Amino acid sequence: MRRILIATAAAGMLSAGLALPGAAAEGRTVTVTGETVDTWCYFSGVMGGPDVVTGSAHHTCALWCAAGGIPVGLLADDGTMYMVLKLGEESDAAGGDGFLLVASHELTAQGTLYERDGINYIIVSEVLVDDGITNLTHEEYGVIPGFAIPEPKEE
Amino acid sequence: MTRFAYAALFAAVLATPGLAQDFAEGSNANSWGLFGEEKARFTAQVVDVICELSGDCPADCGGGDRQLALLRDADQALVLPLKNGQPVFSGAAADLLPYCNKAVEVDGLLVGDPDDTPVKFYQVQLIRETGAEEWAKANLFTRAWAEEFPDAAAEKGPWFRKDPRVSALIGERGYLGLGLEVDEAFIEDWFAE
Repeated sequence: MRRILIATAAAGMLSAGLALPGAAAEGRTVTVTGETVDTWCYFSGVMGGPDVVTGSAHHTCALWCAAGGIPVGLLADDGTMYMVLKLGEESDAAGGDGFLLVASHELTAQGTLYERDGINYIIVSEVLVDDGITNLTHEEYGVIPGFAIPEPKEE
Repeated sequence: MTRFAYAALFAAVLATPGLAQDFAEGSNANSWGLFGEEKARFTAQVVDVICELSGDCPADCGGGDRQLALLRDADQALVLPLKNGQPVFSGAAADLLPYCNKAVEVDGLLVGDPDDTPVKFYQVQLIRETGAEEWAKANLFTRAWAEEFPDAAAEKGPWFRKDPRVSALIGERGYLGLGLEVDEAFIEDWFAE
């Protein structure tokens, strides 16, 4: 199932698009529950549709992308994507260790939300709950990409 | 819905990055066959996203520790690059950082399935300061990574297989992130036959 809902998209367009382009957005405090995801694979389709690039199936790739500095998203349970600009005490938002530690995890995070040009950005002040990986997509999809796990060497 | 509401919705769509305008003219970007892919060459200012949104503005755009974006001249839209021009797993922050707060021209791809997202994100392939003749390929990530992890960089293989942080986490939690026991059972099945 596609998880970014059309209704959410329209709401995003309205909330962001109706603001004057270039105008500074005003932040508000929010609490979001969702999965941390690799946004490039999610939005670009480079490895398939959105469902196959979440959860345990895509965990190793999510580690690689987080280490590579690709923006990490928090995909809320209602399908809304929040681009994470800062994660608590982690000072490096472009490849920092803190993002690797929670790759593919289900988090409840509190922070400041900014909406700009249809994109939701969140500066996370605190991770309230870390439930680890709960989206067991490997059971359906295996691993994505297939080369994420090297073939064991024959002894 | 009133006529005014329809007009407002239409205006909102026009103001949304990547939907209303065609930036393909003059683009030499390579196609990657991605969702909703459109070639896009445009001028912009490189900005620190946190600074742009919140007013927290270190002089050096965070020195590589922040996500950077492109404030597009044509419509003042904040275009977020997710990827640089290298083949896999690398963002664009290292490529944009040398142009912090400068006027640039970029060439690359806008991506995103319009059925899934109201906006498009960017993959920057080429960048140059406004007025410069030569384009630079957006391929600085691996160089920056090698400077941070020189011992790992000296080993054979692609960077993502050698990143010590990734290797440590996989060693501790497995490729699926669910623990070594789950990994072992999965791998046995995955590579069976």
